[in-house]
Amino acid sequence: MAETGQIVEAGQLTRRAVEAISERHGEPRWMREFRLDAFEAFERLPWPTTRDEKWRRTDLSGLKVDELTPFAEAPAGPLPAGLRMTVDAFGAHSGLLVQRNSVAVHADLDGQVRERGVVLADMHQALREQPDLVREHFMRYVRPEKSKFSALHAAFWTGGTFLYVPPHVEVALPLQSYTWIDSERVSIFPHTIIVAGEGSKVTVIDGFGSLTAEYQAFADPIVELALHEGAQVRYVTMQDWGRNVWEVGIIRSALARDATLNSLLVGLGGKLVKADVESVLQGPGASSEMLGLVFGDGRQHYDIQTLQEHAAPHTTSDLLYKNAVKDRATSVFIGMIRVHPGAQKTNAFQVNRNLILSDGAKAISDPKLEIMANDLRCTHGSATSRLNEEHLFYLMSRGLTRAEAVRMVVEGFFAELFERVPLERVGAQLHVAVAAKMTE
Amino acid sequence: MADLEIKDLTVQVEDKVILKGANLTLNKGEIHALMGPNGSGKSTLANVLMGNPFYQVVKGGILYKGEDLLAMAPDARARKGLFIAFQYPVSIPGVTMSSFLRTAVSARRGYEKELIPVGEFQKLLKQKLAELPIIEPTIVGRYVNEGFSGGEKKRAEILQMAMLEPEIAIMDETDSGLDIDSVKIVAEGITRMYERANGNMGILVITHYSRILHYIKPSNVHVMFDGRIVVSGGPELAEELEAAGYEGIRSQFEVIAAEVQHEGAVKRAGKVFWVEH
Repeated sequence: MAETGQIVEAGQLTRRAVEAISERHGEPRWMREFRLDAFEAFERLPWPTTRDEKWRRTDLSGLKVDELTPFAEAPAGPLPAGLRMTVDAFGAHSGLLVQRNSVAVHADLDGQVRERGVVLADMHQALREQPDLVREHFMRYVRPEKSKFSALHAAFWTGGTFLYVPPHVEVALPLQSYTWIDSERVSIFPHTIIVAGEGSKVTVIDGFGSLTAEYQAFADPIVELALHEGAQVRYVTMQDWGRNVWEVGIIRSALARDATLNSLLVGLGGKLVKADVESVLQGPGASSEMLGLVFGDGRQHYDIQTLQEHAAPHTTSDLLYKNAVKDRATSVFIGMIRVHPGAQKTNAFQVNRNLILSDGAKAISDPKLEIMANDLRCTHGSATSRLNEEHLFYLMSRGLTRAEAVRMVVEGFFAELFERVPLERVGAQLHVAVAAKMTE
Repeated sequence: MADLEIKDLTVQVEDKVILKGANLTLNKGEIHALMGPNGSGKSTLANVLMGNPFYQVVKGGILYKGEDLLAMAPDARARKGLFIAFQYPVSIPGVTMSSFLRTAVSARRGYEKELIPVGEFQKLLKQKLAELPIIEPTIVGRYVNEGFSGGEKKRAEILQMAMLEPEIAIMDETDSGLDIDSVKIVAEGITRMYERANGNMGILVITHYSRILHYIKPSNVHVMFDGRIVVSGGPELAEELEAAGYEGIRSQFEVIAAEVQHEGAVKRAGKVFWVEH
């Protein structure tokens, strides 16, 4: 097995490095050119600073991308215990994909599911085996020139998951994908595409984690979900990076007529995490549930910016983000509801609730509206609260220690999310994760 | 040594003095009633007994089984067998009664690292629910007090009391907000708990009205006025109050209040006494 950083050296955010990565994967010409165009955009675009509106709350000056290696081979040997435990904890699945550093190391898909035409592969394999499908969707919903980081991603992407569910196929058990960073001083750029055909139904759990490392690592993932007419997708992304991982990521979904997306973003780990979570309702009757659970501690910084974009009439978006912060952690929630002209009879709901557990912790909430239609129902609300001493006293009067009482209040704070995600194993994992956060 | 001994308890909330030297002694195997008009300080006493941080004790003390109760955190008090059925229990969003009860029972029974086994807990819960037919069993699947009616909240408090098997229980206006039939059934449930404890439970029933005392028979009745216990007697005192209201006591109280202001020292007018410390 090759050593980390063999084909590209640290700090090489260069045209030559882009070519080397493309060559390493034996890519078709169009992809190589796509990468090189993106690299030009990357070079052209400035690094964001806190003077940019979108970056006002998040200071990236501590991120040393130019000291990190933009491609790292997977280490040899069995899966690390932490990763194996996570995979096992989510239980039965129809398919599983595991990526370590920049490279996929494991892929399996239930035979019966495969026979029905479902494709679950790492993105490079998919590019070799399903070139037309990949080309049709690759960075169609997130354009490389969207930002410095999407351009960087488009130029250097490696790994990620490609899932295609043919029309009218229902996959009973969840498909799971795990991305694990084994090394420090690396950047990873996994690209995930989920295509749900007309009337299909699938659940995807996308997990992210890493070893706890001394030095920085960086993740710049992009996830694109394309839901065709009447498709039903449940997508759970569960991020539990080690404490030295920085992330700037995008999840963007496009929903055709009558498609339904139920998504949940879980943010637990990392040092600094900036995520854009966007759902575009393109066809009448489309419906997007966007749930979020963020729990920051220590000096973690989360900046989640959501977009509920209604581009067609009779569409529904329902967003609930619950962020808890303790110690000196910060959470930023910026939620935009955008309703296009003509997107009448739209329902757009947005709720952000924050719970501050320590004096040094901070939660910022900033809902925004851009409404260009006039016949719609739109509500948005945000509330930030601190621990309620009366609640704690009540619980303590029954014998719970203060710590137990706080844990119970926090679990109660998140309970609504657990209830809205009917995946027992995910709920159980979240309970464990929340309890672990409380004792840290 | 009494099980619960309240001595010269003086308590304030912000700048207002609510309790002005309250004294009361209660033992396991006894039921005492604490009566008094609204605003006399009964609920304050209950809250201070449980350690509500909102109240500041400025003078006096409380011994619980010989230990300084005021030095203990509320959870330590609960684990040592003190219980209060709150007048206005708060709701805890997202926390189910069953998980709350299981955690509380575990704490009371000395489980430290883990919780009481599910099977054992379920058995106990089933048994207690069977003993308290007034409690709708579906309550355990709901969030703690969330969306409960006044009566449901009171009944949920009784279920907690039954589950925790306290040694000293304070019932803070458990009868208020309940209709007369419910008062009777709740009181019978409490009496059954008391009898079953076989001398190992003491109860302080705090109430404005005497009606609950028809069903929970106290051995001692105390009347609180303006932050002090001014009359103590047997069960007949509750009957007198029921007949005459607090007005009889109020007039006697006002006579000696005036005298104490002029002369100080121990005063007694009819049943009403006052010890100025």
